[in-house]
Amino acid sequence: MDHSKQVLVVDDSRVSRLMAHQFILSKHADWQVTEAATGEEALEKVKALNPFLILLDVNMPGIGGVATAEQLRALYPHTHIFLVTANVQNAIRNRASELKVGFMEKPITETRIHQLIDSLEA
Amino acid sequence: MVNLSELENDALVEIFNIGVGHAAAAMSEIVNEEVIMSVPSITFLNRADAAALLGSKKDGERICGVSQHYDGAFATEAILMFPEDKSLEIVRLMVGDSVPLQELTEMEQEAMSEIGNIILNSCVGTLANLFDSELHGSLPLYHVGTSAQIMSSFSGPDDAVVLMLHIDFVLAKHQIHGYVAFVLDLSALHDLKEQVSRYLAKALGQA
Amino acid sequence: MPDAVHRLSLLESIIGAVNLGAIVLDETGRIVLWNHWMARHSAWSADAVLGRDFFEVFPELQHKRIASAIRQALRDNFQSLLSQTLHKAPFALYTHGAAAIGNEAQERMQQAIAVTPINLPGSPRHCLIQINDVTIAVGREKLLREQTMVLRSQTFSDGLTGIANRRHFDVAIEREMRRAMRNSSPLSLLMIDIDHFKDYNDHYGHQQGDGCLIQVAAELAAMLQRPTDLLARYGGEEFAAILPDTDAAQALQMAEAIRQRAAELRIPHEKTGNDLKHITVSIGVATQHTQHPHQPLDIAALIGAADRALYLAKRSGRNRVTVQTT
Repeated sequence: MDHSKQVLVVDDSRVSRLMAHQFILSKHADWQVTEAATGEEALEKVKALNPFLILLDVNMPGIGGVATAEQLRALYPHTHIFLVTANVQNAIRNRASELKVGFMEKPITETRIHQLIDSLEA
Repeated sequence: MVNLSELENDALVEIFNIGVGHAAAAMSEIVNEEVIMSVPSITFLNRADAAALLGSKKDGERICGVSQHYDGAFATEAILMFPEDKSLEIVRLMVGDSVPLQELTEMEQEAMSEIGNIILNSCVGTLANLFDSELHGSLPLYHVGTSAQIMSSFSGPDDAVVLMLHIDFVLAKHQIHGYVAFVLDLSALHDLKEQVSRYLAKALGQA
Repeated sequence: MPDAVHRLSLLESIIGAVNLGAIVLDETGRIVLWNHWMARHSAWSADAVLGRDFFEVFPELQHKRIASAIRQALRDNFQSLLSQTLHKAPFALYTHGAAAIGNEAQERMQQAIAVTPINLPGSPRHCLIQINDVTIAVGREKLLREQTMVLRSQTFSDGLTGIANRRHFDVAIEREMRRAMRNSSPLSLLMIDIDHFKDYNDHYGHQQGDGCLIQVAAELAAMLQRPTDLLARYGGEEFAAILPDTDAAQALQMAEAIRQRAAELRIPHEKTGNDLKHITVSIGVATQHTQHPHQPLDIAALIGAADRALYLAKRSGRNRVTVQTT
């Protein structure tokens, strides 16, 4: 039996957050999904969580997804952290690899979210 | 003029961000350097205001524009615009050249046309895919002139609306601000609004 | 029906005769047309590629721009342009074609490519790739640009420092003198010479001497802010500054500022033969202010005066500014 897991979704686009939120629940209705609109907000909200998975939009105002990922990776060495972006190029691939985080391509679709979750549970 | 709900506006901005994100990845592959593009905001304007927005600080400042015509599910004229000196900068960065001539040479105009082609097709393509629409796009056309000249060269009813995207373009520590303008007549605008609503309803389902 | 057959033959002949490459892909990306031009300029005949997947024949193009262009044509019905400047030669095509393939030295032709969807009623979408040989046009433009650069740099710039050269100075001084006389405005000339430069070269070597010249020239040039001011390399270690609309007092002020700035650079110079172990300059200043236009230009007089002033500055200890009237 799956224990309910906690997910943090960070994206400055509310539509993006709602979609990711929904697609996660459609796979695991009992999981808890928390949303944040900026990296700063994410760093605040994460304190109250024990996150299994964190999804970070790269292109956000403020400190941005990559800097947030770096800080979160330092705080949570074992949490699954993914950078989410439409701009997949070598620079971001290398950065993700350096930070030991994954990345997922936008647009966020149900298929992509489900595939990502499957890959974590494998 | 146009009433999109906050969520609908958010969806449109996000869709265009995805579009320019893909374009940036494509351009990065060409120059082998990091390229970042984003759409911080969009605005709906009438044509006069659109020309004024681009017109700005110096009188007679020239703009380089690349336009493409799309039709099918809806019709629009899409134009990518950068101030002339910024266009020079972008092309020279992409081409890796540094001949300090005041204007784009013919070959460089071709390169600028391709850059416009990549960005516009990516934006409209993302829109068309998510809206499940069938469109047809033309080859890019290069323009140079003042904003008023460029905006007026596109036919269409006087009450056409311009959907203006603000674009931030970053390459090799150069940060450049430009625009993509979509000229839409009222029926195209109506179609767009409907498509956004439909997309939201479908994507967010019963959530 | 003879008409339809005739028309088909006509169209096929045209595709065979056009002076550009035409490749057509079907909806699955297989090559269904490869015209004569393509066969003539590449290593592949139509037989060798027809029916094969495009990326199986050209695996190196799989993650390149043309791949997304093909995708956008087939899936989105969009046209794409691949300019010759951003992608010089995606295909292995040669101007002198198959005959020269064996010849390793031949370069690929420069290509301008357009990718266009082809919609046929009752048929899935196809994709047309058109290739134009733009080698000549590119070569021509490159030559023009190179010539512009050469002309520009040769004509008026000093090769080492990048500032104006002596030729430019000669043209400028005449122009400014004429203008000053016409407007009855004052024209000042500064002759600036690096002190003990021969000793610097001898001690530190010519390469470092060049470096010193470049640095000093850059600093001086930065100080001349007005568009009509001109700093030129007049001789080996001698610079001249043309200052239009500048009277004697202003010229003296500018000269003193320059002298000070040069000293502040603190470029080390062991062999000055005095206590100041750094680079300094001597400056001669002369100003012309004729109240009577229509007099013949006397460029020599102005330069002569500035030169004499410079000589005096050197004689009286260097690292100073001296003024001489014309």
